Amino acid sequence: MLKKVLSFFLSLRTAIGLLFALIFFLFFGSFVMPLREEFQALHAVPLFQWLAESPFSITWWLWVSLAILSLLTVNTLLCSLESVIKKRGARQWLLILSPQVIHAGFLFILLAHLLSSYGSFKGTTAVYKGSMLPLPNGLTVLFDEIRADVDQSGYVLNWAADIRYFKDGVQISGDSVLPNAPSFMNGFGIYIKTVRFEPYPSAIIEVSREPGAPWALAGGILFLAGMTTLLILKIRREEILEKDSGGRVKEEINGPNSTS
Amino acid sequence: MKDPLLITAILAVAFYVFGYYRMIFVWSGLLLQVAYLFLRGAHLGRLPIIGPHDTLFFMSASTMLFAVPMTLGLKDRQRTLFPLTGLAVFFIFLSLLYKPHNTPLPPVLKTFWFEAHVALSFFSYALFGIAAVLGALYILNKDTGGSVSPPAIIESLQYKAILVGYCFFSAAMVFGGIWAYLAWGTYWLWTPKELWTVILWLFYSLYLHARLRQWWTGTPSAVLGIVGFIIVMFTYLGVSLFMKSSHTF
Repeated sequence: MLKKVLSFFLSLRTAIGLLFALIFFLFFGSFVMPLREEFQALHAVPLFQWLAESPFSITWWLWVSLAILSLLTVNTLLCSLESVIKKRGARQWLLILSPQVIHAGFLFILLAHLLSSYGSFKGTTAVYKGSMLPLPNGLTVLFDEIRADVDQSGYVLNWAADIRYFKDGVQISGDSVLPNAPSFMNGFGIYIKTVRFEPYPSAIIEVSREPGAPWALAGGILFLAGMTTLLILKIRREEILEKDSGGRVKEEINGPNSTS
Repeated sequence: MKDPLLITAILAVAFYVFGYYRMIFVWSGLLLQVAYLFLRGAHLGRLPIIGPHDTLFFMSASTMLFAVPMTLGLKDRQRTLFPLTGLAVFFIFLSLLYKPHNTPLPPVLKTFWFEAHVALSFFSYALFGIAAVLGALYILNKDTGGSVSPPAIIESLQYKAILVGYCFFSAAMVFGGIWAYLAWGTYWLWTPKELWTVILWLFYSLYLHARLRQWWTGTPSAVLGIVGFIIVMFTYLGVSLFMKSSHTF
């Protein structure tokens, strides 16, 4: 029985079948998502909380996708381990190792999503110049200044907010928040979405926590490092195979004794 | 910008058509497209990759940018290159259907991560397009022997295009994730566009895994390459047209 389970998970055919199934259910889900309002709330809460609170009739495809993804994770892990163990003595170790680095990157990205699905936080609010905003980590943020760069035609080129962090009423640091340049403090990020100056200077602020972000970055770096190495090695190998195949084609056309 | 655009488009198409007879015309068409993108970028003060007009024109130029070196050394190169030129011409015509966006970028898009994300995405789309055309060439010529080059070479070229495209696409996803995290506080959003991007990535992952098995080499992998590009076009244009998403182009 165990042997059967192991051979199922150690199969490339299983990986192909699981990928086909996952594509099918995500394809189905992409058409369900725009039709149901419930999916609008998916950005605001962690995935697992949303799944627990939403009706199964609209989330079943996501549950099935998660189940397939779990099987794919086991498949990836076992196939990678088997490959490294079986081929550890081979000469082309870089060609053997790089797909496993890609797989490790993929698994890190899945881990990132798992962590974020449990522990992420997102909150949006409007703040004014002088507003105090309490954060879930116990700190308080004071919005000192809200400003914008406007060109001659009135087009807003950029905006920013100057902030100060307080703990128990004592200032601990200060920072500026700009588009694409959030301020991070104790695991939380402060993002400035947009600003308005009428009737008072105000800004839409987002407070966010993504516990999976460092893992996702590590996974992305691993994936790309492995992919680049594999790309170079595979293309070289394909060229050698092509030369062989070209030779065979010549033989087929001209006969095996041909010198042309 | 409308007249220079039309003149560039007509001239580029003419060059690519004459490219069937002389390679110099293909080079001229490519140089013209690159020059147009460069001048448009200089005029706008940013990479011209916003909106369907710019991205389709960028994809057309990228198709030729990869197709020209990829077909180097092929027997009867022009006959392999010509269908790929047809793909580039198709994208030029499509780009003319859309109005160019000439407004400055909103602050949230003014970042290296966004520009790298979009540029790499369209490099990969171009390569997936090339792979689909090569897949069709393989299927059409595998039995008749009328191939422009041996079918095995064409199929191997398709694999290489997908491998490089997959690498670019993965980098585009990573860079997009970094940009989204810095701009919106999350590296992933649950929208149909993101879901289709993952479907596309999974599909080419499937292709690369399937091709490791003997059964999938040849016609099945050629077919997968063609289906992949249908998914590319739906991810790029279809989702934006038919589904609400954070990606508005």
